[in-house]
Amino acid sequence: MEIKKIGIFFLVVIVIAGIIGCSADTTDSSPSEQKGSDTTEPKETSGGTLNVAYLAQPQTLDPHITTANATRDPARLIFETLVTLNENYEVTPQLAESYEISEDGTTITFKLREGIKFHNGTEMTAEDVVASMTKWGESAIAKANLGEHEWVAKDKYTVELHFEGPSSVIMYVLADIDQFAAIMPKEVIDSAGPSGITEYIGTGPFKLENWAHDQHMLFTRFEEYQPVDEPASGLAGKKEALVDEIYFHFVPDESTRVNGLLSGEYDFAHMLPYDAIPQLENVPNIEIDIWPFGIQALVFNKKEGLFRDVRMRQAVNYALNKEEILTAAFTSPKYFELDPSLFLPEQTDWYTDAGQEYYNQQDLEKAKQLLQEAGYNGEEVIILTSRDYAHHYNSAVATQQQLQEIGINAKLEVYDWATLLERRDQPELWDIFFTGFPTSSTPHQYTFLDTRANWPGWTNNPEFDRLLDEIKAQTSQEEAKALYAELQQLMWEDLPIINIGRNLRVSAYSDKVQGYQEFKGPVFWNVSISE
Amino acid sequence: MKAYLLKRILSLIPVLLVVAVVVFFLIHLTPGDPAAVMLGPDAAPEDVERLREELGLNLPLHEQFFSWFFGLFKGDLGWSIYMNKPVLDAFLERLEPTLSLAMLAQGIAILIAIPFGILAAIKRGTLTDQLFMVLAMLGVSVPSFLLGLLLMLGFGVKLQWFPVAGYNPLSTGIWNHLQYMILPALSLGTIQAALIARMTRSSMLDILTMNYIKTAHSKGLKERVVIYKHALRNAFIPILTVIGQTFGTLVAGAVVTETVFNLPGVGQLVVQSIVRRDYAVIQGTVLLITVSYVLINLIVDLLYGVIDPRVRLNRK
Repeated sequence: MEIKKIGIFFLVVIVIAGIIGCSADTTDSSPSEQKGSDTTEPKETSGGTLNVAYLAQPQTLDPHITTANATRDPARLIFETLVTLNENYEVTPQLAESYEISEDGTTITFKLREGIKFHNGTEMTAEDVVASMTKWGESAIAKANLGEHEWVAKDKYTVELHFEGPSSVIMYVLADIDQFAAIMPKEVIDSAGPSGITEYIGTGPFKLENWAHDQHMLFTRFEEYQPVDEPASGLAGKKEALVDEIYFHFVPDESTRVNGLLSGEYDFAHMLPYDAIPQLENVPNIEIDIWPFGIQALVFNKKEGLFRDVRMRQAVNYALNKEEILTAAFTSPKYFELDPSLFLPEQTDWYTDAGQEYYNQQDLEKAKQLLQEAGYNGEEVIILTSRDYAHHYNSAVATQQQLQEIGINAKLEVYDWATLLERRDQPELWDIFFTGFPTSSTPHQYTFLDTRANWPGWTNNPEFDRLLDEIKAQTSQEEAKALYAELQQLMWEDLPIINIGRNLRVSAYSDKVQGYQEFKGPVFWNVSISE
Repeated sequence: MKAYLLKRILSLIPVLLVVAVVVFFLIHLTPGDPAAVMLGPDAAPEDVERLREELGLNLPLHEQFFSWFFGLFKGDLGWSIYMNKPVLDAFLERLEPTLSLAMLAQGIAILIAIPFGILAAIKRGTLTDQLFMVLAMLGVSVPSFLLGLLLMLGFGVKLQWFPVAGYNPLSTGIWNHLQYMILPALSLGTIQAALIARMTRSSMLDILTMNYIKTAHSKGLKERVVIYKHALRNAFIPILTVIGQTFGTLVAGAVVTETVFNLPGVGQLVVQSIVRRDYAVIQGTVLLITVSYVLINLIVDLLYGVIDPRVRLNRK
């Protein structure tokens, strides 16, 4: 009986402790306080481990083959590009020491930095760059923006890119971080399988130590890393691995990411649920980072069905209250911005408010009139969506209600994300779906603008292609920008998609983390962690 | 006995055959394909098509089936296109967290449930009995993910006694391992405890009213001897059945707990593989889970004979 009593006592203690723990006020104590760290100023030190809670594991770490953010964010620690983007989204050399565009605009000569080492100890040479760029050249993004092109090694440290004609976008595409033009050793490229490379060796400040699937990736400092001797700016300039190691823990459950940050298990938690932010705001020692992700978009099927008719698309545009949809999706105006542009105001090379007169101008009478003109007769409109992404789902629900208000017979079809991806390829199965587009550095990277990309939604107005080609052919950015303004105006008149607005995302980190910044995803170099 | 064993093992074959066929076609006929998931939502259709081609996903379904099915006889469960390794390796890597979680949860459940169930039966109708049964009812009703989140908030976030999520394998030391397992095991074990406690109580109540128990009492045997030696042993068959069945569900159904506590177990492997349509992994894992489920049932059946010789006699 003694043992039983001890057992019951132990159980009661556990239950009481748990209840006390759960009922304690979240505002007046925090893990860090309990550890006593509030009495000492955090100091920036090198070394230590940075524990990052990340929402999803990438399908691959090969940035050449996928547009997924889950690949981009960890892969940028390992791989670098010839040129990159600074904080003003301007193209800046990285692995290239310099580059020069020929007078006729058909050749770019890259002078490589000498003595750059790969993680396997070999030196990066023109051969590696040509192999890497040739593989990357197979990607849709490269094909669409570079056209017919060829990479040639001129000598050990010089590489030339030959292409058809002057282009205002090639340098941006080479510098961009989505499906990025990572440089890898030639032998890695040669041994790449059907689903990309299998060895992850780059020149970046961190190297991949191990990848425990569905658990974590461990990155360690690359001791032979050679930083650029310029101040850090965006993804450019000096990159230093200040911590010894970075753990990317894959934590799909968002409340677990929040709890892990609160308990101190994670130093940084990426993409947190909006409804957890008020709770986190009350915790001292937690910093909250709200950053622009891209646009939330309603995509029309323009190959089959009702929305081939532009008047139907315009009716939908007049029917929608964008602010309500964005509130449904992102909970609060703190997390979205109403803006007709595909670019951020900081992207001065492209930003324009052209088309503003069509943006967020809800006018139900006009919408109904357009429906009538288009001959709409109560046909079913299928909105594809997935609960895998709450903001897409909530956007779809709000849209369905608003469309029903003007008499459109809108119906939701909810699938898991993989099924949605397959169904959206079949034009006979849907009319509208929601997706997000991360901010790109050129208009050409927005696949829905180009009829030749054949991207689901099937933009069918050749005027877009003409403008895209013209923009590309410009040698002056000013002229390119003016043409882009025309294109954005056309986008709001023709409506291949409806840009509902810009959405912001939230990450949070312990104030032990110093020097963190977000630039098209989290940046963990130049980040230190205090004791 | 040997014949019985052989018969049981042979009866596995049609079960596995049906599972193999059903799982293969169910998964392959479900829309969504790994190439599209792998390349991301903005990928160009021609890139997706090229990858499909390279991965052999464009082959006729029957060809894909037969190549997988005949591989099974060679012990080849297929290749994970996503993890780039044999399915069997992926499964074995994930087995430790799941088995550890299931065994700990079961251990916790048994330790709590059987004494409480017996006590409730002996004190039938008293306040103790009612209290235990209310607790058991609560245990069954509270979903394990909710309990998991509460435990995480209490013991992980607030008290910081245990990590909120993650996993340390047993090879890193028992305590290192256990501190990651205690909260998930508690959250999963509570439901089990409630089920087993209720079964223990009702089974004990049945036995306690029997004549031979009354005889034992009238012989002047000590209460403890009557309860543990005479009653419990006979009450144990239905309890064991519940333990066995629920252990099977624990192994297969720890998905939610594994997700909440971010344990890289078999449950998570299956869920993640479904999300990314890693066909071979889903097929292989489901098949292996079926085998383990059937084997657990077999072990439970054999244990009946150990506990109650009458069962052995019946089989002959």
